[in-house]
Formats: sequence, C-alpha cells, structure tokens
Amino acid sequence: MYEFDWSSIPGALPFLWDGMKVTLVITAQAVLIGIVWGTLLAMMRLSPIKALSWFAAGYVNLFRAVPLVMVLLWFFLIVPEFVGQLFNIPRGTDMRLSSAMAGFALFESAYYSEIIRAGIQSVPKGQISAASALGMNYGQAMRLVVLPQAFRNMVPLLLTQGIILFQDTSLVYVSALADFFGAAYKVGDRDGRLVEMLLFAGVVYFVICFSASQLVKRLQKKYSTA
Amino acid sequence: MIKIANVSKHYGSFQVLTDCSTEVSKGEVIVVCGPSGSGKSTLIKCVNGLEPFQSGEIIVDGTSVGDPKTNLSKLRARVGMVFQNFELFPHMSITENLAIAQVKVLGRKQDEAIDKGLKLLDRVGLKAQAHKFPGQLSGGQQQRVAIARALAMDPICMLFDEPTSALDPEMVNEVLDVMTELAKEGMTMMCVTHEMGFAKRVANRVIFMDQGRIVEDDSKEEFFANPRSERAQQFLAKILHH
Repeated sequence: MYEFDWSSIPGALPFLWDGMKVTLVITAQAVLIGIVWGTLLAMMRLSPIKALSWFAAGYVNLFRAVPLVMVLLWFFLIVPEFVGQLFNIPRGTDMRLSSAMAGFALFESAYYSEIIRAGIQSVPKGQISAASALGMNYGQAMRLVVLPQAFRNMVPLLLTQGIILFQDTSLVYVSALADFFGAAYKVGDRDGRLVEMLLFAGVVYFVICFSASQLVKRLQKKYSTA
Repeated sequence: MIKIANVSKHYGSFQVLTDCSTEVSKGEVIVVCGPSGSGKSTLIKCVNGLEPFQSGEIIVDGTSVGDPKTNLSKLRARVGMVFQNFELFPHMSITENLAIAQVKVLGRKQDEAIDKGLKLLDRVGLKAQAHKFPGQLSGGQQQRVAIARALAMDPICMLFDEPTSALDPEMVNEVLDVMTELAKEGMTMMCVTHEMGFAKRVANRVIFMDQGRIVEDDSKEEFFANPRSERAQQFLAKILHH
C-alpha cells in the first residue's frame, strides 16, 4: 500500500507559485495576441481580396492540422536558431519563455480566428448595409457596428478557449520550462514525492478551471437574458 | 436628381435587372411596386451602390454610382436609406444610433450630433425613447428611429426599401405618416412599397416592375386608372381587392 506523504508541499509553494506565474503569463499573452491576431485573420478570411483570404485560410488550416506539442517543439528547437542569427543574440541565451509564448500565440490565433469568424458571420448582413448606407467605409462598419456585436456574442466562447489554453500551457514541459506543471514535476521528482505533487497540481488545475467555467456559465446566462 | 439609364444586372446567368431606365426629379416622390422577385429592391439598392450592376449608368446629383473612381461612402452619406428590417444598431442606445454616423462620417461634434438627433427624434414622436435600446422599442418605433437616423445626415434624397413590410398591421400607419410628412416637406423619395394607399395619396409617379424590367412608369393617376400592361392590371386587381 502506497503511503501518501504531503509534508513536502508547503515548503514547495513558493517554487510552485513561480511556476504558476509563468503559466499565467503565457496564458494571458496568448489570449491577448490570439484575439488581436485572430481578429485580423478572421477579417482577412472574410475579405473579398483573394490573396488575403487564401493566406488566412492557409494559416488557420495549417495550425489546426498540427499538434500543439509539435508547434512548441519547432519554436523551441528551430526558431531560436533563426531569430538568434537574425538579431545577433548570443548562443545559449535562454529563449525558452519567448519561444513558448510565440508558439502559443501563433497557434491559438488560428483557433481564435475561427471563433471570431463565426462571430462576425453571426451579425446579420443588413447591419453592414445599414452602416454603409450611412456613409461608413468598410473599416468603420467593422469597427463600430459589426465587431462590437460579434464580440458580445463571442465572449463565452473566447473565455472557454482561454480556459483550454490555460490547461494546454502545461505542454511547455517539452522545453523544460518551469510553468506550474513543470515546477510541480521538478519538486516532486527532487523530493521523491512525484505522485503527491502531481495530484496536488491536478487539484489546483481543476479548481481554477472549474471555477472559471462556472463563471463563464453565469456570464452566458446574464448575456442571454439581456 | 436621380437618373437611371439602361441598368442591367445579373447574378451568374440569372438576370435580375434588364435595361431599367427612369428619372427622379428634385422633390418628386416615386413609388416602386411589383410582385416579389421583380427586382424592385435590387433597383433601389443600385441607386446608392449597395448592389453593384454590370451595365448602364446611374447618376445621383451629378455623381456616377457605377464609376469605380467614385467614392461610394461619400455619396451614400448624402443618400438616406431605410430598410425593411430597420437595421438599427442593437448595441447602441437610440441617441447613439442617431449620432454615430454624424460624428464618424460627417465629422460633427458629439453634442451637436446628439442635439440634431434628438430634434429629429422629437419630429417622429419618440423623444421619450432616446435613452432606450432598439430591442426595447416596437417595430414601428424602430422604423421611425431609422428614418430619423437617415435624416440626421441631411440627405439630398431618401430611399425606402419596403419600410412597412416587416411591421404588424397596426404599426404600418405610424411609419407611413412620417413618410407622408416628409414628402410634404419636399423630400425627394424613392419608395419600394406595397402600400397602394400611400402611393395614391403621396406619390407623383408609380413605377411597376416585373421580372427585372420596368413595365410601367406613369403618373399615379394614369397608373391606377388605366394600367397598360396586363401584368400590372393583374397585380392591382390582387392587391386592391382585399
């Protein structure tokens, strides 16, 4: 019978908190860049200019057809070489965090752009006609009329995608980056208490994600009755 | 004011408009009617370039709509349009709906735009609703706001695309009254509508369309008394006898 021993957890908390900070930073910046770049991609995809629409479609299909772990590995192994040469960054500089952030942001943009495209398409066509009839150009019609409505419809989906992203950040372990999961693994391994540490990490992930999705549900209710 | 000359439009092999020509002078009120699918909505959407057309020419106040060099946004800012489904912006209050294009397109100051909007709102009898959102108003009220929103741009003419078709019967008149008022003040208007009572009272001319062609283009007296085409006779018989 396995004897659980939780005593190493309290001492590890500061280290775990550092890991959580890395997780949160990666999540936050990927959500932010994902939404901005995703919006641009969605607008390109819906644009009448063929070249833009093809580029966006290609981008989205590429990233959605490749496992996230692989994208992260590319960004960990290959991209730093290029970027390092390009900007004359000395060899051996730790670029793991920036690589991971770039990988996540570019990957998640593909998913966000699909959510945002659906959101834009959910706004009735007549709204663009009305905006144009008032003399607004395409950019104004998008910015002032279509996108605000689209985002309002999309808030729950965007948040849900954010929660998935939060969990997916654990994949940065492939680059040995100490995010929350990575930190838990390292401490557990060091203290010979891997099982306890990973159970504890699982509980933390569950509590955060479950409460966040409950929050989204309540938000959704509030919006749908408004 | 508006000149439509030999306009044709097709979607692929489907011909929507065939060789349509007519003219609207300043201060004239034209009613465009015809069975559904006859191209009447498409025709008036061509007037402000919301629908492109392949051949022919439309000139609005000296500007060619089909010319690729024309700044369509600039032209549209001067041509008011009212839609079947109102198309107020649901995420903005009534006041914001009235002010937004004045500020963003015409560059008016915010308070000046709001002032103007409220005056027009008063004119369509809805001043008390200024702070509400479109979803809180009835269809008839929303359409009156939509008319006020178009008027806030000081348009040189107004296009109405079946403005009462989506309304409950008891709300039709409140919208027609606003339109009648507008016509009396001398606004140039082109209205796609099935409201023959409105046409009889207010229109100068009636255009009857069928299968993408302008079949009749007559004074309203002539149109209602002696429609020449068989198609228009049938249409009038159906629409007037109930």
